[in-house]
This record gives sequence, C-alpha cells and structure tokens, in this order.
Amino acid sequence: MTGAPTSAFLDIRAVAKSFGGNQVLEDVSVQIAPGEIVGLLGPNGSGKSTLLNIVTGFTPADAGTVHFDGQRIDGVAAHRIVRTGMARTFQLPSMPTKMSVMEVAMAAATAHHGVFDTLLGTAGARATERLARDKAERLLHELLLTPVRDLPAAAISGGQKKLLGIVCALMAEPRMLLLDEPTAGVHPNLRRDIVAALQRLNAQGMTLVIVEHDMHFIRDVCTRCVVLDRGHIVASCRPDELSSNERVLQAYLGTAGTQPLATESA
Amino acid sequence: MFDFFISTLTIAGIYGLMALGLNLQAGVAGLLNFGHIAFAGIGAYATGIAVQAGWSPLAGAAIGMLAAMLLGWCIARLGRQLGADYWGIATLAIAEILRTIATNEDWLTGGANGISGIASLFDGLGRPWSALAFLALVLGAVAAFALLARRLANGRFGRALRLMREEPQLAVCMGYDLRQLKSHAIMTGAAVTALGGSLYAHYMSFAGPDYMVASETFLLWTMLMIGGLGNTAGVLVGVVLVQAAYALVPFAKDYFHFSSDLAGALRLGLIGAILLGCLLWRNQGLVPEKLRKMP
Repeated sequence: MTGAPTSAFLDIRAVAKSFGGNQVLEDVSVQIAPGEIVGLLGPNGSGKSTLLNIVTGFTPADAGTVHFDGQRIDGVAAHRIVRTGMARTFQLPSMPTKMSVMEVAMAAATAHHGVFDTLLGTAGARATERLARDKAERLLHELLLTPVRDLPAAAISGGQKKLLGIVCALMAEPRMLLLDEPTAGVHPNLRRDIVAALQRLNAQGMTLVIVEHDMHFIRDVCTRCVVLDRGHIVASCRPDELSSNERVLQAYLGTAGTQPLATESA
Repeated sequence: MFDFFISTLTIAGIYGLMALGLNLQAGVAGLLNFGHIAFAGIGAYATGIAVQAGWSPLAGAAIGMLAAMLLGWCIARLGRQLGADYWGIATLAIAEILRTIATNEDWLTGGANGISGIASLFDGLGRPWSALAFLALVLGAVAAFALLARRLANGRFGRALRLMREEPQLAVCMGYDLRQLKSHAIMTGAAVTALGGSLYAHYMSFAGPDYMVASETFLLWTMLMIGGLGNTAGVLVGVVLVQAAYALVPFAKDYFHFSSDLAGALRLGLIGAILLGCLLWRNQGLVPEKLRKMP
C-alpha cells in the first residue's frame, strides 16, 4: 500500500490518525487526478477536516503517506506545502481586526523583494507592491469584495470572510485548492457566484477538493465524491450515484446495527 | 536648566530608539518580549569593552548590534515549543541571566562596578556644543529609525508580521514561515535597541549591570502602552510623555519642598497613574494603531 506513488496528482495512502484514543481516521487512501473537482462528504465527526488538515500539514498523521505531484509532503511543514502549490481555506475563517480586507489579500501575495528594497523604497519594491495590489484588486473584484476592501477584515460578514479566504488562497496561484465548506452560511446568490468562480478556476486547470454538506452544491460542482464515515472511506462515486449507494445512506441516515449519527462527535 | 533640558531630551531619544525596537517586536509582531533591555545592555557593554580595547566607537556599536542580533536569533529559536506567554517569561529569565553574568564576570564586564571612563563622542567641541552634537546624533538616529520602522511596518514584511500577530494560522496558509518572521522581527528590534544601549554608554561614560534591570524593560512597555502599541508615532508620544513625567518631578520637588524619597515614589506613582488611566480610558494608547489605507 505505501509503495511508490502512482501518477495521481494527490495521493493519500493508508493515512491514520487518532486523538487521545479516538480513532478519527483509519487506513484512508484517496487518489485525485489533475483537473478533478472532488467533493469530500461525510457526517459530522467522520474525519473530513482532519484529513484536510493532514494533507495540508496542519496536523501530523500517525501513519500513512501523502504525495502531491510526485513529491512526498507528509511531515513537511504547512508553510512549505503551500509553496508547492497547494492552498486551502478554513471552515470558519477568522480575520485580523487591524488589517483591511485589501491588506489581508495583499499579504497573501507571493512575489518577493528584499527587506532593503522595502527600506529604500526601490523601483523593484514598488513594482512587486504594484503587482500584488493589482492582483488583489482583481481577485477581490471577482469574488465581489470590492465594496468592503477598506473595511477591517474582521468586520465583514462570515460569508464574505469565506470569500476572502478564497481570495487569499488564490493569490498564490495554487495548482490545487482545498476548500472547507465554502458555502455553509453563505447567501444563495453569493453561493451561485462561488460555484461560478470555482468552475472557472477548474476550467483554467485547477484541481479542487471541497468539503461540503450541501447536496445541491455537490451535484452542481463536483465530478466525483468521496464519502467518509467514522474514519473510513465508504464510497467513491459520481454525485448522481450517491443516493443509490447503500453505504452512503447508511452513513448518513444510520440503520439497524450501526451507531446512530447523534452519538458521534468530532 | 538648559543642560537639564538637553540631557532629558537626549535620554528620551535613547529610550525612543529602544522603544522603537520593542515596538517592532511587541507592537507589530505581537511578541511578548519581557527581556528587551538585555539588547540595550549588550550594546552598552560591547561599546564599553570595545572602546576600552582601543577600538573606535563605530566598531563598538557595530559589535553590540551584531551581538544583540545573535542573542535575538537565539531567543527567537528558543520559543519553538513554547506558547507566547511562556516565551515572554523565558525572555525575562534570559535578561536576568545576562544581568547576573554581567554582575559576576569581573574580567569582562568589570562586575558590579561596571565599565567606566567610556569616552563621550564629541568632547572636543567644548561645553554646550558637545551635548548639543550628541543630542543631534541621537535625534537623527531616532528620526531615521522611526522612518524606516514605519516603512517596514507598512510594507510586505510588516503585513506578514501583523498577520502573524493576529491570525497566525492564516499566515501559515499564505506560506509564511512564522519562526523566520519571528526571528527577523526580534533581530531587527535587537539591533536598534543595541544602538540605543551603545549611545547610552557613551552618554553616561559608563556601562553597568543596572542598565539591564527588568524594570527598564517594563518602563519601555509602559511607554508603548501609553503611546499606542503598533503605531510608530504613538511610541514616540509615549516616550516623550513618560520622560516628561520623569523630568517634571524634580521641579515639583523644589516647588513643594518634597523629600527625595517622596519624589522618587511620586515619579513611579505618576507613571503608574498615567498607565492606569490609559488602560481604563484609552486602552489602545493615545495614538492607536490605525487601519492602513491602501491606495
């Protein structure tokens, strides 16, 4: 199982994780091809967010390997994984109070200039600043945040914070983007815009992994679904096959002989 | 009177340098450094030792700044496994350890007697002019560092530091190496502060372990809290206010015929009252950090 990586873009193999005796993930393997939009589903406490955290380096796995584009990334620091071209957003993004929306977006720019360029205000420093500003401006516009660009980032609505999280992720021009519930708590109109934005990004070649509960969203956006239940992969299928998949129904609705959902907690 | 005024301003300027250094760490990067005065002490001792060995004041200052940056690097690495508050306590401990070393290693630091007879810089100019030239040097350094600090805080580096201060997880998501940011912020602040310490050693012609007492760090913190953490202009306002409160007490003492003991207590009480007032009514300081407008 843990042999050489396959040609998959993201290759998760036999990953396991437990928190204080609570086995959250057990022998989880997922392969994702370039250009896919994969929906990661599962009831609360099924281990979706933990899997996302392991892939992005925020939580170390107990066992298993993760390869991204042929490179092994398990055990690599989170900030280095970002630099390999994998960005993520958070389920409940929290934003700084003393920085404007525009400043937060600009902070995510990856173009570098040296400290001495900043101190001396050289042409090089001004050029990278201008590039960052233009890019931030464009992405804020695309995700409808231009009206709030000068507000403190902590003062915008929860839905707008999610959009800002996506803007920040996109500033680095990632090849793969992992989104944790991008539309939960977002106004339906805005949801449509997010769907459109994600499909546009995918058309440009970006691979997407989306943790989501909203079935409409899954059906509209995803090309494949991976369903987790109590730390195990129980299904990997097309979105339209979900409703006829016995194990998925079992995971979500609970049937005789399995534990009901209500007793699970993350 | 004139001499007193010049001397108060000079000392205020030196504190200003140290406070700017602390602000970069505590105000911009949100690092609870409670051992900041150690950097100033290192600057002062490096100057004392270098000048005694016959080196130029410039070399002394440079050695002090480099040594302080090295210490800053070590302190930043030290906090790897520590929470922010525990790290703050560790910095306090390190400053105290260094002060104890300075008190006891007579061969290097002159022990409790310190290093005296450090040449002041402009003695050749004669009585009022030497003090004025030194004041000009100090204020020039403060102005230069205030400008650079503002530029740094508003630029890419400052944005990263402020993001680390408020939302470290988001900063990691953007690919920032928090440990590196932390060490760069501390090393930059350490260098400025060591320069302040070096100038202080020249000004007092002396470097001693008393320069490194913890209360000096807290005095700098008080200046920052009163003026406004994270705002360069606010820091300078805080420095001037605290220095003014210090300088006014001797006049009040003469006017109201206090005893010296009472004057000393009054000095501390006054600072405490200003700090308390600020915390109660202006908890962001007199000149709070503002949202930076992006063009």
